[in-house]
Amino acid sequence: MNVLVKSLSVLALLTMSALANAFDLQQLSAQLAKPDVIHGQFIQEKHLRALPQPLISKGSFVLAKNHGLLWLLKTPLQQDYRINAKGIARRDDNGWQLLPNKSAGAEQNRLFLAVLQGDSSGLQRDFELALSGDAQQWKLTLTPRSLLLKQVFNQINIDGGALVQTIELLETQGDSTVLRMQDSNASQPLSDAEQHDFAE
Amino acid sequence: MTLPSERRLPWLFLILLLAVVALAGWQWRDGAPLSANLMELVPGTHPDALEQRAEQRMQEPLNREMLVLVGHADRQQAVAMAQTLGEQWQASGLFEKVQWNLQADLPALRTQLLQGRLAMLSADDRQLLIEHPDVFIQQRVQALFDPFNGFTLVPSQDDWLGLTGRIQNSQPQHGSVQLDIGSGALIADADGKSWVLLRARTTGNAFDMNLPLQVAALLGASREQAAKSDVQLLAASGLLYAANGQQQATREMTWVGGGATVGILLLLLLAFRRWRVLLAFVPVLVGMLFGAVACVALFGHMHVMTLVLGSSLIGVAVDYPLHYLSKSWSLTPWRSWPALRLTLSGLTLSLITSAIGYLALAWTPFPALTQIAVFSAAGLLGAYLSAVCLLPALLKNVELRPAQWPLHLAERMIALREKLLERVRTPVLLALLIAFCVGGLVQLQSKNDIRQWVGAPQQLTDEAQAIARITGYQPTSQFFLVRADNQQQLLERQAALSERLEQLVNLDKLQGYLALDQLVSPPNQQEQVRAALNKLPQYWQPLLDLGVPLAALQSELQQLQTVPAEDIDAALAGPLGEPYRTLWLGPTEDGVAAMTSLQGLNNPALLRVQALDLPGVMLVDRLGELNEVFAATQISAAELKLASCALIVLVLMLPFGLGGALRIVALPLLAALCSLASLGWLGQPLTLFSLFGLLLVTAISVDYAILMREQVGGAAVSLLGTLLAAVTTWLSFGLLAVSSTPAVSNFGLSVSLGLAFSFMLAPWAGRHEHTATVAEPAA
Repeated sequence: MNVLVKSLSVLALLTMSALANAFDLQQLSAQLAKPDVIHGQFIQEKHLRALPQPLISKGSFVLAKNHGLLWLLKTPLQQDYRINAKGIARRDDNGWQLLPNKSAGAEQNRLFLAVLQGDSSGLQRDFELALSGDAQQWKLTLTPRSLLLKQVFNQINIDGGALVQTIELLETQGDSTVLRMQDSNASQPLSDAEQHDFAE
Repeated sequence: MTLPSERRLPWLFLILLLAVVALAGWQWRDGAPLSANLMELVPGTHPDALEQRAEQRMQEPLNREMLVLVGHADRQQAVAMAQTLGEQWQASGLFEKVQWNLQADLPALRTQLLQGRLAMLSADDRQLLIEHPDVFIQQRVQALFDPFNGFTLVPSQDDWLGLTGRIQNSQPQHGSVQLDIGSGALIADADGKSWVLLRARTTGNAFDMNLPLQVAALLGASREQAAKSDVQLLAASGLLYAANGQQQATREMTWVGGGATVGILLLLLLAFRRWRVLLAFVPVLVGMLFGAVACVALFGHMHVMTLVLGSSLIGVAVDYPLHYLSKSWSLTPWRSWPALRLTLSGLTLSLITSAIGYLALAWTPFPALTQIAVFSAAGLLGAYLSAVCLLPALLKNVELRPAQWPLHLAERMIALREKLLERVRTPVLLALLIAFCVGGLVQLQSKNDIRQWVGAPQQLTDEAQAIARITGYQPTSQFFLVRADNQQQLLERQAALSERLEQLVNLDKLQGYLALDQLVSPPNQQEQVRAALNKLPQYWQPLLDLGVPLAALQSELQQLQTVPAEDIDAALAGPLGEPYRTLWLGPTEDGVAAMTSLQGLNNPALLRVQALDLPGVMLVDRLGELNEVFAATQISAAELKLASCALIVLVLMLPFGLGGALRIVALPLLAALCSLASLGWLGQPLTLFSLFGLLLVTAISVDYAILMREQVGGAAVSLLGTLLAAVTTWLSFGLLAVSSTPAVSNFGLSVSLGLAFSFMLAPWAGRHEHTATVAEPAA
């Protein structure tokens, strides 16, 4: 179960799809639906129960409406990832390498892309969605519905304003992951290099 | 004029009949003792006990499980329908287990992964750990940061070295079916639809008589229900083939049996113009009864195919009463007992020769034919006895005044033949016939395939193919059987085989395979892993740099040193062992054995090569072997045919002398040759079944030659008797040709051809010098 992808899916869902069942969710998705491309920095904190301090990694990301996601890890090690219609790919010396479609990963990938294409049914079936706050400062809580998901994690919390700010994943085993999206901006189009990365 | 013995005979026979009816009643006390198991019909290729056990193990799921895909463009709707159907099916009581979602037992999975850290590590990961421990650690560090690494079942603090994650990721992918995290359903996407996998395991197997029909009916109802919500169902199961086979057998039995019955009754009425003559059908019914009782008594049950082929007995059994009924054209007035007396020797000869012909079938290695032979021989005996003992009494006061048109027809045919012979003499005709035979025989092609036994409808095979395409599950009937002295050797041998199969997979010659060595490694390799782990402290600095406490790593290492070596049984016990369980055959007489199953094979010949120089490994290819047996049996069938002819010659020598006997037997043989040639001219393949059909026709048509040679009542009357016998026989066998089971239809075609030629050639049987005069004193 890839929680990050799951939460990014939610993000994308909110960005563009019709969550028709509640007025405020609709409002939120309208708010997030505007930008075509979001550039930003991220800090990922992995809190492992047995470690005194979290594993912290940093990098940048690009979320493009019709292309997918680039996740560029910079420290403590450098590694680029890409999710698009083809699957999850990792970049090595020879370019993008598509990772083998493992059952769970591929399912996440499918879900993510389904959401990108505006198919909201999957997420709503899997999660209870609860929204609080206002357009400037909101918080969305996802609680898994299915038994299988409940065995994996307790909750996903997403906070934001104009754009998403943090995503927090609470696993049942006691570990948690916090993703902080910083300096997100929706003003820049895709660079040539980014377009090339998505196209390859 | 009735002899005293003829007064007692009917009563004696009725007592016998009563006994047989009672026996039948007892045999049917628990319902029909019928079987539809195709494998019972095909020859045993005498595999050893282990091979047989392996085969049963591999076939069991085919005969008990049903695989259904529930498809809709909307995934959620597909899942909902799968759930609804799953619940309905579970409640139907037909299934032992219905599964539409995966109830993953995560704690059990965690335990197995932790326990199997040494034993279940894949070959690649093992190699990396042993040869490049630094890279091994580096990859672990990377994985800890990797946001897309996927969810690992075992939390990091229980497995800092990441062994369980590696095991989890190296589990072979089965087809293109994926787990839907939300619902737990197994789903494949194809053709713009989401297909939810629904698996059901029945309480009995495909060869229980009622179960397949019930399952097929349930599936039919579910299809309709699903269609209302626009949901499409695709289903595959041996059960559906069995249900179809049963329905088809019933349908064909009705057509063949009913058609033959109606035709024969009509013929009797038209020819003899008396309602009472319909009693001639009594021997047929008695014959069927005797056949069924003998079959169940000998084999414990009767196969549906025996019934289909056996229903052709109707036409042969009715020949016995026809023998003396047809004497009504020459005997005036006709009386039953004298007519019988006159034809008794011919009847008896006919019974003996036909029985020899049928019983010759019993010596072929085909259980199907053995059953048919027993059914038919017993049936003929029953028909003969009732024709001889009972029927004359029933027809005692009937005076037959048969229609004259059949006689005129026969006379005209004889005249025609005479005219022909005036212009073209027999040797010339024979030469022409032989030319025809040679011309046909060179075009004759032999074809044998087990698939001829199954008349699988297009829809079933289409759906099975669609399921294979969508899910990627393409089970093949071939598999490898691997034997070894102990588990260590077994796993090594399977690994050696896997290495070769992997090459085939890479060449796209094979889609995949499943073997125990993919799940668990042999004990010595587990020790190698243990030793390699002991060297890790030199390389694990990067993990310490992340902040992983040294004590935690050390205690984990210590724990790994005490993890016991895992054997096959232990590995199979956990949830990850589930798909592998059927493969393990366990201890055998001389060691242990397991199987390697295959997916999506497109070249069986390649497989055979794989096993050639691997000790203890053999390919089990039952279909391939069967087809070989078929071909081999063709030769033995021909030999059998000649042997049965020799036997018939011996029997016929008594009344007709050697010359006469040879002549009588030569005619059916020539007829058989002509039929073979006709198959060639018609472009029909020669199959084992056509050969069996001809084997049979030889025996039946010896009868025609005898009739013609005996010439009781003159040539025209004899020809008429022969014609009637041939037409009735053809009515029942010829109808088999319309069967949708290729084997049965082939059988019917060759018998039909054989009968036609036998009838045409019968007048050449010559003329037997009668010592008794034809002029029987009138009653």
